[in-house]
Amino acid sequence: MPLESETIAAQAEVLWSDARALTECADRLREIEAGLEAGGAAPGWLRASVNAHLAACAEAAADLAEAAARLTHYAERTGG
Amino acid sequence: MSEEPGPAAGLLRAAARELADIGITIQEAAAHTTAAITDRAVLGALPRAPAAGCRAGRALLRAVTNGRGLGYAPAGGRLGTLAARLGVLAGAESLAVRVLATSLRLRIAAVALDHPELTGDPMLSRLIEAAAADRDLEAVRALRALIKDRGAVRTLSELAPVFGEVLALRALLDENPLNDTAAWQIATGRGYAGADPVTGMSNRAVAALDTGEGAARRTGLTAAESRRLSSHGSLLGFLGNIAVIGTTGRAIIQSVRGPDGVVRHVLQAPGMRAGQPDNASPQDLLGAFSSAVLAGSPYSRALIKAVGDYGLPPGAELALIGHSAGGAAVMNLAQDAEFCARHTVTHVVAVGSPVDFKKPADPRTWVASVTNQHDIVPTLDGQGAGGCFDLHPGWYVVDYFDSTHLFPICHGIEHYIANLADDLPEARERIDERFAPYRGPVVRSQAYLLFDRVPSPEGFPFLTVPTYPADTPAGTVELPIRCRDGAALTAYFAADPAAVAGLLDESGLGPAVRIGGRSLVAVHAAWNRRTSLGGYHELHLGVVVPDPWRRGAGRVRPELLRGADRRRSGSLLAGSVVDAEIVAAVAPRLWGGEPYQAPLEFELGAGGARVVAGGPGDRILTLGGALGPGLPLGDRDLVGYARHAGGALRWSVRTRGAGRAHLAPRVRLTVGPSAHPLARRLRELGLDGARPLLCLSAASRQARWEAGVPVLLT
Repeated sequence: MPLESETIAAQAEVLWSDARALTECADRLREIEAGLEAGGAAPGWLRASVNAHLAACAEAAADLAEAAARLTHYAERTGG
Repeated sequence: MSEEPGPAAGLLRAAARELADIGITIQEAAAHTTAAITDRAVLGALPRAPAAGCRAGRALLRAVTNGRGLGYAPAGGRLGTLAARLGVLAGAESLAVRVLATSLRLRIAAVALDHPELTGDPMLSRLIEAAAADRDLEAVRALRALIKDRGAVRTLSELAPVFGEVLALRALLDENPLNDTAAWQIATGRGYAGADPVTGMSNRAVAALDTGEGAARRTGLTAAESRRLSSHGSLLGFLGNIAVIGTTGRAIIQSVRGPDGVVRHVLQAPGMRAGQPDNASPQDLLGAFSSAVLAGSPYSRALIKAVGDYGLPPGAELALIGHSAGGAAVMNLAQDAEFCARHTVTHVVAVGSPVDFKKPADPRTWVASVTNQHDIVPTLDGQGAGGCFDLHPGWYVVDYFDSTHLFPICHGIEHYIANLADDLPEARERIDERFAPYRGPVVRSQAYLLFDRVPSPEGFPFLTVPTYPADTPAGTVELPIRCRDGAALTAYFAADPAAVAGLLDESGLGPAVRIGGRSLVAVHAAWNRRTSLGGYHELHLGVVVPDPWRRGAGRVRPELLRGADRRRSGSLLAGSVVDAEIVAAVAPRLWGGEPYQAPLEFELGAGGARVVAGGPGDRILTLGGALGPGLPLGDRDLVGYARHAGGALRWSVRTRGAGRAHLAPRVRLTVGPSAHPLARRLRELGLDGARPLLCLSAASRQARWEAGVPVLLT
């Protein structure tokens, strides 16, 4: 069923894009913290929170990339 | 007094905005992953590549459940939403929620820079920290301690600048899945908080209880109110007018002649009316709620009717000014495309109003919003001092704070007027500059009484009767007199038969109805609070007489239960007192004879009754005491006779309202030391110190006084 494989491939493409977005989120989080630190406005608790978010974003990006890769493989197997 | 946040607060708000955007991105990724898991194609292809399909499924599931990544993050679609709610119930969190929580904490930190009391006050700080950290028990204890220390109102006032943020934090982090949408709306600034962030109960469902097509009726202002109305157009003048008419269910429209000679118009709408949550006025609590939550409400529809009645010329310019719920209601007018097609809405000023998610239909409409950061009401849409989103870049927003933190004082129109007059001169001048076309003499003012739905005529149908003019020495009056609200007491006494016979002498009426060898007389007193002649008191003394043409006491008692149109017996008037000149003037037309004019007092309550005739130095009578238990009684009409040339004048008072019969009253009539003829007559009748045999009372009644009708007795 080529139609199903195309749909699965499209889902995979979206997740690749999301994985990249999550990686960018990590960069944006670093910039936020840096900006607040530079401006002397960062609350004391911010660094720990941002670090936790950074680690989670990295892990989530990896999870999404893994899922995208698995979906891509799945789409290839069902497309033939 | 401050309006502008400092640079650090600006940085924090910008960071909060960026974090909210990151949270949205993460949530979208979670929604995409959930969509892939539940996609029919993904599931349908499994038979053809089961191993690859299962591996893909496991990877997808891991992506939306990995506590170190997206967290527990099913989202979107029916299955995703259900799974998300189950997860919330189990206390699971997603990365998006954690990032949004950080965004909200940054918003609180930004507000705290302007409001150091939020973090400097250990009790407030403890509550905010506990709520932000999802430590429920500690948050509850902190809240209890705060309320015990300062009371609920002060606690609410002190929390007001961060009220939305604290509620949203709690809602995001608690185990109630129903309030999450509201929390997301507040945290991302993407719309009105559609549900109560505490319970999750739908705000729209509550607002939907406020129904009605809206109605407006022209109404007058008192002389004192008219004197206080501004005679010149200005921001403070218009706000002052709102203060003058107060929260009385009214609104006002004025026309001003601008500096260019053009007449423009200004609708001024006050806030919520105190009292029952849902009454006949659209300015009730439900009305405030629905005006804020919905695009149209009975309040805004009533205002549209008022504008329609006022009669604006085609193309005339209109400015809308509202306080509190009035601000939300006038914004509803501004965002009503049909209304704006009929009228040119040039300006809207909302003071202390939740209007963040309203948008004028005409982009040329200039909007100003003035809010005190300690005022809870403007934050009811979820956006307060901590807001980090520029929801309406074209508006002129004055979001300030002063030393008055106590709600509702800081919400009062008088407080906003004082702030704008004394503390915010730049803001006032800026708004007045924009109001330049409206800054001229007021040439017309019209107040309107607003309703949820078209009201029936007052007193309908009982008081809806034909009327006619009657000339009196005090001027022309309209008959019958209609009383929309009054109270009455009738006391029946056993009086000296010889004295009563003297009163009946040559009247053609009588003999008096007797009980136990004594004659029955009635003292009737009423406080007619709202009548077509204004409010007044009256008191009558009468001898109860049977049907003039079929005399016999036996016929009287059953007749007392009949309405005036079927009653033949009545009371021959032996003296009357009223306390209004106009009533004294019309009395000969109503019940014959000239009444005395004297001060009268009337009280009727659960504890008893008190009627006083005559001033302190010239007391005629006092009738007072406990009425005792009362049996329910229907409408109690009153029928009387008065001496009239060649016969008698039969008069009647038709009444509507529940009454009570008191069979064992402990009321006592005390005749005063006055030499007044009525006092003398009461003494002659032996009523000084007498207790009545029976009392009839009506705490609330409508009544109608018809003109008396001459009848021939011989």
